[in-house]
Amino acid sequence: MPMKLERNETDKELSVRRILHTKNYSLTVDKTLCTGCEICQAICPKEAIEIKMLPKVPGEKRKHATIDVDGEKCHFCGICSSLCPFGALKVRVNSEHVFPVVKTESFPELIREINVNSTKCDIKCVDCEKACPLELIKVSVQTPDGKTVKNVDSIRDKKKLRVVVDVKKEFCPCCRLCELKCPEDAIRIKKFFQGIIHIRQEKCPEDCQDCLDVCPIPGALFLADDGKVHVNEIHCVYCGACRVVCPEEGALELQRTRIWHTPVRSGAWNKALEKLTSTKDLTKELQKKGTTRIRDSVKKRFDLGDD
Amino acid sequence: MSEEPRIGVFVCHCGLNIAGTIDVEALTEYARTLPDVVVAIRNRYTCADPGQEEIRKAIKEHNLNRVVVAACSPRMHEPTFRRTVEEAGLNPYLYEMANIREFASWCHPSVPEEATEKAKDIVKMAVAKVRLFRPLKTMEVPVTNKALLIGGGIAGISTALDLADMGFRVYLVERSESIGGHMAQLDKTFPTLDCSICIEGPKMVDVSRHPNIEIISFADVLSVEGFVGNFKVKIRKNPRYVLGDPCTGGGECREVCPIEFPNEWDMNMGVRKAISVPFDQAVPLVYTINMDYCIECYKCVDICGARQAINFDQKPEEIELEVGTIIVATGFDIYMPYDDKLYGYGEYDNVITALELERLILAAGPTGGKVVRASDGKKPKSVVLIQCVGSRNVDKYEYCSGYCCMHSLKHAVQLKEKYKDDVEVYILYIDMRTHFKGYEEFYRRARELGTNFIRGRAVHILEDPQTKNLTVRAEDMTLGELIELEAELVVLATASIPKSGTDELARILSVTRGADGFFMESHPKLKPIDTAVDGVFLAGACQGLKDIPYSVSQGSGAAARAATVLSQPTWKIEPIIARVNPDKCRNVRVKCAICAKKCPYGAIKAPEGQAAEVTAAMCHGCGTCVAECPSDAITQMHFTDAQILSQVRAALEENPEDKILGFLCNWCSYAGADLAGTSRHEYPTNLRAVRVMCSGRVDRDFIFEALKLGAGMVLVGACHLPFDCHYISGNVAMKARMDALAKMLEKLGLSPERFRVEYVSAAEGVKFAELNREMCEQLKALGKEKIKAENEKLRPMLEKMLSRKKT
Repeated sequence: MPMKLERNETDKELSVRRILHTKNYSLTVDKTLCTGCEICQAICPKEAIEIKMLPKVPGEKRKHATIDVDGEKCHFCGICSSLCPFGALKVRVNSEHVFPVVKTESFPELIREINVNSTKCDIKCVDCEKACPLELIKVSVQTPDGKTVKNVDSIRDKKKLRVVVDVKKEFCPCCRLCELKCPEDAIRIKKFFQGIIHIRQEKCPEDCQDCLDVCPIPGALFLADDGKVHVNEIHCVYCGACRVVCPEEGALELQRTRIWHTPVRSGAWNKALEKLTSTKDLTKELQKKGTTRIRDSVKKRFDLGDD
Repeated sequence: MSEEPRIGVFVCHCGLNIAGTIDVEALTEYARTLPDVVVAIRNRYTCADPGQEEIRKAIKEHNLNRVVVAACSPRMHEPTFRRTVEEAGLNPYLYEMANIREFASWCHPSVPEEATEKAKDIVKMAVAKVRLFRPLKTMEVPVTNKALLIGGGIAGISTALDLADMGFRVYLVERSESIGGHMAQLDKTFPTLDCSICIEGPKMVDVSRHPNIEIISFADVLSVEGFVGNFKVKIRKNPRYVLGDPCTGGGECREVCPIEFPNEWDMNMGVRKAISVPFDQAVPLVYTINMDYCIECYKCVDICGARQAINFDQKPEEIELEVGTIIVATGFDIYMPYDDKLYGYGEYDNVITALELERLILAAGPTGGKVVRASDGKKPKSVVLIQCVGSRNVDKYEYCSGYCCMHSLKHAVQLKEKYKDDVEVYILYIDMRTHFKGYEEFYRRARELGTNFIRGRAVHILEDPQTKNLTVRAEDMTLGELIELEAELVVLATASIPKSGTDELARILSVTRGADGFFMESHPKLKPIDTAVDGVFLAGACQGLKDIPYSVSQGSGAAARAATVLSQPTWKIEPIIARVNPDKCRNVRVKCAICAKKCPYGAIKAPEGQAAEVTAAMCHGCGTCVAECPSDAITQMHFTDAQILSQVRAALEENPEDKILGFLCNWCSYAGADLAGTSRHEYPTNLRAVRVMCSGRVDRDFIFEALKLGAGMVLVGACHLPFDCHYISGNVAMKARMDALAKMLEKLGLSPERFRVEYVSAAEGVKFAELNREMCEQLKALGKEKIKAENEKLRPMLEKMLSRKKT
């Protein structure tokens, strides 16, 4: 069979497929998860992803941008899917979900450091589950033999029950809302993007709150008494969805300074890192890698000497 | 002129061939009366030894410096008599042939008196022309004894190895990453079923190891300048981003590369890595990075390590080669029948082409040798092979692709031998063409293995949306009814077509292509390897489709043909070429360069502000530029304006109104007229023929002069449009020129039938005779008086047009 390129788009999903006689590849964008941030578009090595702005309807909330994938340009390398903060993109080879570039260490994965110490949990508390804006947390109570308990009050010996907090990590942007809502201080989260976000309210157009409309994290941006949008950096995940829709140049500044990722040594990653952060931050990371390497080799030599 | 012409005329009896019709005695007598004729002698057979001896003797005795032989066609014996006069110490170009056999005795046997009168005119024309002849010198150019081979398929490999073994240096330029061509893609070869790469692979390695061969792969030919023995070729080496020398071909880089892309070598059915070789036996075994897919993670650089073979900064590199001959062996492409809705190719999952099946059967192919369907990965239980998809179809490719019958038989045999009764194989064919050694026997083998042969065309293919099985509706010509076949796999034997880029290469090399798009040979029978450009030869399927043994033979043939040039220290070039008089050239003053544009061979250079210049060795002597030059600055040696006009004047000295003056091109119309004579097709005697090498030489002034002198009719005879011209496109230039002229003459009051352009091939003797009869009818119908009156009316205008000529 000759090679075929297919494209399917529904309200919930966009997928492009390359079908060969012996193998097929697909890239799927889950539209319900995509926030129209610019990360995949910025790092796609083949410029196959395009950001599409939806027109603003007066009187309605601003809708976030969407992405479009060019099936002829996409080579199903998986770079976009390995770095999507919301886990909205998936590459499949022969229907199996894979990250080809991660496997060969040509590209890193985001490290989502989410630690839940559920021994601290009160068995009736579901605050984190409620706090998650993306509904990624499921709290359940289990008996020692692993059975889920539906009605906690019916169990007499409550001490033997334990709480299980299940987080769908691959979709988590690490906004820390659950961490801050947790009454027992049982959750520890490290953001994978670190950076600076700043809104120059004096530049904001009158009555504009487009950034706030599209922000996927409640509370990261908020409308203050002055009628302008302000930032709460504790919850911002630095995805950039707000910057994409901001109508006024320079009104919203966002800069990522560090990305928490699995270690790799790859030209493709260096390029992506520079695009996502800045040349300065890239140099920092490279220098750090350099020193680690030197330290490693010194250590190795000493070890050998000891033997 | 340095010396007074002393002309000897030798009238040949040719037994009774000439003397039987023509009064040779009267003719000889008449010849003596012509100006500057010193001696006229009759001879029974001039071409025989005694006849030739008589010429040699007469030259010495009478101190002759010009010779006219009135005998047969110059196409027959011109070289013979050139040699004769040369042996007598005369320049061979100081001799002219008067064709009184094909043009007089043979075509007018029933009117001997008129034939004799015509013969007298023919001799008069020859004498007039020969008076103006100048001695010409054959040129010699040095030969670079290296060859360029374009295309490294099996034909090119054969040529390269043969030439290299003869001791010539060979540059083998290949556009793709590896040599090998289509043969390296095949599983088995018919009719012996030996493994294709197993027999080609060693040859490929031989090429790479041969000290006389340099492979320049992944490269394009950009331009070719020069001429036989002295070509300058510009080549662009495209960047592989991997250096050839340090690359060990180990393939560790391929293992770590994360990116896969469809492998064209596998007909896009399988994949290869962004850094890889197209197939494991590739020669040269150097990896290539496909930058369209590479994400530059540099994992390959890491693993390559100390070898340092990978260089992302590599740039395209241009090199220049000097070679003596060029052999084109660019092969073919496969037609992909996306546009023919009948077959559903590209739409139905289980419809594939034969080359795709080839890659499926091959053990090193994308499925590891398993024939499986794309829709479900299962082995098909019934396979229908459909022949002539695109071939033998006047709406698509008119020709027969030649080897599809055989490869389908091979596929049938392979499927039957591999899966036995587990698979049913049908072949839908129009004609089963199994000529050549061992092929018919192979056909029998396929029949004996139980292949079902159905003679007929597929008319419809339908796909079951659930099972993805196919229903092939076909016309069974033996039963005379429609049949339906259930197929789990349909394989299309698609046409083979000229390689992409053939048009571009044709332009670069100034080589013509036939109507089918393949390169055109110089002569379909006698020069099947040569092209119209001296020193450029063809090998393999680029000239027309061939199977492997035929391609190999032609490859060796091309090596032999190329060696005829390469083995010479110098190469002789006919002096009948064009020359520019720089003092007259208009290009010095204004932007002209018409000659450079019209030259079919790119032999003329006309840089702005400088006089045009003809590269002698590239000039083929058609004379198109001479006729096109607006300031008469170009002359064609041996066919100068003065020489041709002298023939025109001689022909029209008496009773011009009764005569048809014909300018006939040497290769088609003149040859057609010769054939009319040889086949004794009789026609009236009114024609007086002027032979030119190409109809492109026919200047407007010749027509003006003829009409001014009162010619009854003027005819320009050419090769058929568009491809028959011996000089690529001289006839096309002539047509454009004459179309405009005809319009003008008609406006001035010339009856349109009095000026005609006709296309007569060398095979159309009957047509030539008929044409003459028809023109004579018209001539009679017009009447002498009307013609005279028209001429009177035209004369002032014509004289004005011709006045330029005298200055």
